Amino acid sequence: MEAAPGRRPLPLISSVQRQPWGAIIAFLLPAFTIYTAFTAYPVVRTLWNSFHTVLPKNEEFVGLDNYAALAQDEIFRRAVGNTFIWACASPLAEISIALLLALALFAKIPGMRFFRVAWFTPVLMSYVVVGIIWVWIYNYDWGAANAILRALGLERWVQAWIGNPKIALPSLILVTTWMWTGFNMVVLLAALHSLPSEVIEAAELDNCGWGAKLWHIIIPLVKPTLLNLLVLSFIGKMKIFDLVWITTKGGPLWSTETASTYTYKRAFEWTTFDLGYPSTIAAVWFVIVLAAVLALTWLFRQRDRLEY
Amino acid sequence: MISRAFLFVIVALYTAFAAGPFLWVATMSLRTTSEISLDHYAWPEKLHWDKFPQAWFNSNYSVYFQNSTLVVISAVIVLTVVGAMAAHCFARYRFRINRLLYFVIFSAIIFPPQITIIALFQILVDYGLYNSLLGLTLVYIAVQLPLTVYILESFFARIPADLFDAARIDGYAEWDIFWKVSLPIAMPAIATTVILNTILLWNEFLYAVVLITDEAKRTLPLGIQRFMGDQLEDVGMIATGLMIAIIPVVIIYIFFSEKLIQGMTAGAVK
Repeated sequence: MEAAPGRRPLPLISSVQRQPWGAIIAFLLPAFTIYTAFTAYPVVRTLWNSFHTVLPKNEEFVGLDNYAALAQDEIFRRAVGNTFIWACASPLAEISIALLLALALFAKIPGMRFFRVAWFTPVLMSYVVVGIIWVWIYNYDWGAANAILRALGLERWVQAWIGNPKIALPSLILVTTWMWTGFNMVVLLAALHSLPSEVIEAAELDNCGWGAKLWHIIIPLVKPTLLNLLVLSFIGKMKIFDLVWITTKGGPLWSTETASTYTYKRAFEWTTFDLGYPSTIAAVWFVIVLAAVLALTWLFRQRDRLEY
Repeated sequence: MISRAFLFVIVALYTAFAAGPFLWVATMSLRTTSEISLDHYAWPEKLHWDKFPQAWFNSNYSVYFQNSTLVVISAVIVLTVVGAMAAHCFARYRFRINRLLYFVIFSAIIFPPQITIIALFQILVDYGLYNSLLGLTLVYIAVQLPLTVYILESFFARIPADLFDAARIDGYAEWDIFWKVSLPIAMPAIATTVILNTILLWNEFLYAVVLITDEAKRTLPLGIQRFMGDQLEDVGMIATGLMIAIIPVVIIYIFFSEKLIQGMTAGAVK
């Protein structure tokens, strides 16, 4: 796009290229009106809230009190920890399984179109539907998880999957993995199909083994896609709310509390009626997310630079 | 040959894992709760199709459906027009703060919902839009705008500039260039964003749960949650309710699977 003016053959035309500011403003005005009213203004107002106690019909400036209280808040620390575990574990699980599945389909398994469509389905469901289904799967008495373990004779692994504080979080991480692996697989498959076939054929001629081919040729070639998917999955998990809300509401004992569920609870469930403190949680979490995403992008750029 | 069989086993196992839960819910949706409690995994012996009208009429499903349809369709129409106008402008005109403005909108993709949701609640209350479908629609437009602009901009940017110059020499006004040149060419990308936004908003839960409390204004995800609470232990009925929610998405998926996959994966492939 940047190179376009140089390609323009007739100087006559580019001299006519005065910028039609009227049209530019008219095209952007609706989008920016909506953006300002329902995105930018709310962000500013949340930041403003975070320095106040905000009760219905009564606002009081409290300076950094909310931030000081948040620094001491054990549940918030727990929620941040859980969300980070989720946001780091999920991308690794989803994308490594997705890569293996994509390679399986890439190896020309018959019925590829069917599998591609079937695996993608979970991501189309709302978290509410998915949450209810998985509450059933994890049901102690008749859920599929325990039923399968009993059928395999692994009675001692049978347990209350989302009722046990020690494994509730991994159990929910498995649900998002179930949901998103198919999505990642489809993207990776598209990336594999866009690779130059000579490279893969050359590797085949060199007779290198599957592992070597995967590690030295395929992964480096699809690396940009892999990194994109990692960031995308990371951002998605940093926002997670619906699934937790439907299945565990953050319990048992805060073991699945995430930054989103805790903010929601403090704002709309606790009877304090104060919107100031939850706004502080939101503001701090906002900064954490921005910093994490910037750090990730920066890290991936650095590694690219080192290797090439 | 052995490795091929091994591959097939993995693929089959994963398919069971991915599709099994839906199949299970589908069988339960056609069985009564007393049948289910005898054996949760039996194939339905007698198909109780009558459970579907029962679930529909015993709850406010028709209201939830209407609300969801109204909100999603109006939000998607506005999103498409507003998003396409902005995307066309970003891709078509070279002006100094173009990239800055684009970045301002684009960066909202990573904002966690909390940073706006508390203030949105206050703002909608202030303007009498709390608990109204109009308020929810406006918020949905704002939430999906960055992604829509992002997908459409990358498509518009690939339309050759010569086409616009030709249109301009032919005496087209700026608006006509957008309406009669850009939009028709961009139809595939527009269709992608329409389907993508429809699915994402149809499933949306967090903003709805904060901004809607009135029973008559509930959208489908809120309705399902409510339905689950009402039926409590009636697993069979809840399964039927879940199927009612799943079926429209599956129908859209059957007709538009390729478009939908394209939309969901747009931008992830570099």
